[in-house]
Amino acid sequence: MTDGGGTDGAPSLADQRDVEQVYQPAEDSKLLADAVVERVEAGDCALDVGTGSGYVAARLRDAGADAVGADLNPHACRQAADSGIPTVRADLTTAFRDGAFDVVTFNPPYLPTEPEREWDDWMERALSGGEDGRAAIEPFLDDVARVLASDGAAYLLVSSLTDPDAVRALAAANGLEAEEIASESHPFETLLVMRFALDDG
Amino acid sequence: MKENLMDIICCPLDKHDLELDVTERDDEEILAGTLTCTECGETYPIEDGIPNLLPPDMRDEAPA
Repeated sequence: MTDGGGTDGAPSLADQRDVEQVYQPAEDSKLLADAVVERVEAGDCALDVGTGSGYVAARLRDAGADAVGADLNPHACRQAADSGIPTVRADLTTAFRDGAFDVVTFNPPYLPTEPEREWDDWMERALSGGEDGRAAIEPFLDDVARVLASDGAAYLLVSSLTDPDAVRALAAANGLEAEEIASESHPFETLLVMRFALDDG
Repeated sequence: MKENLMDIICCPLDKHDLELDVTERDDEEILAGTLTCTECGETYPIEDGIPNLLPPDMRDEAPA
């Protein structure tokens, strides 16, 4: 989660204001997108949770999927929609139908954060994963199996900072089988991409 | 939002179907209107083309 950049061209002042409140694609976004696009088939129905700027959703779309973005942050919704991604303001997967998606992706806020530092603004919200770093991951894993098609899969960016074994345990408790499909070492953390499929799927 | 989004969205509270009521649209998209749950009756706004399907208790919760 170092500084991202990576947008094309110079944003207008109005856009700039939004950019400051929306997490911009960084190496974690890229690792997730690179791993997932290899596994996407044309025509797949895909949902990018916490889409932010819409980067991962756009990569899914470019790989042939019908990609939709969801975000809690209204500024992120605006930015993703303006880049041509159908976007819904929603809490994780809660506003989507049962079995609707072949692919669900999520690059969650995951930095472990002291309670007194939390929820000050939208950027904090995009980064902070609560005290154990799993405040967004846990409810995501509780609901994502519901929206997956029987042969669908969810892809989650997981940092070594948020205890990947605890994430695997949460997935197993929700009937999801976890597989590590990509990893990348950085100075202060290792980033992983985990793929979750329904146990019976 | 495009109308085909209706195929994948639902009420975040009870997962029932939503009924679309359009107040403004252009050639491609629905720009303003409401989505109403056919079961619980909760209404969700579509603003600037983006449906707001946050549960009501999260809708007004906004950091600075």
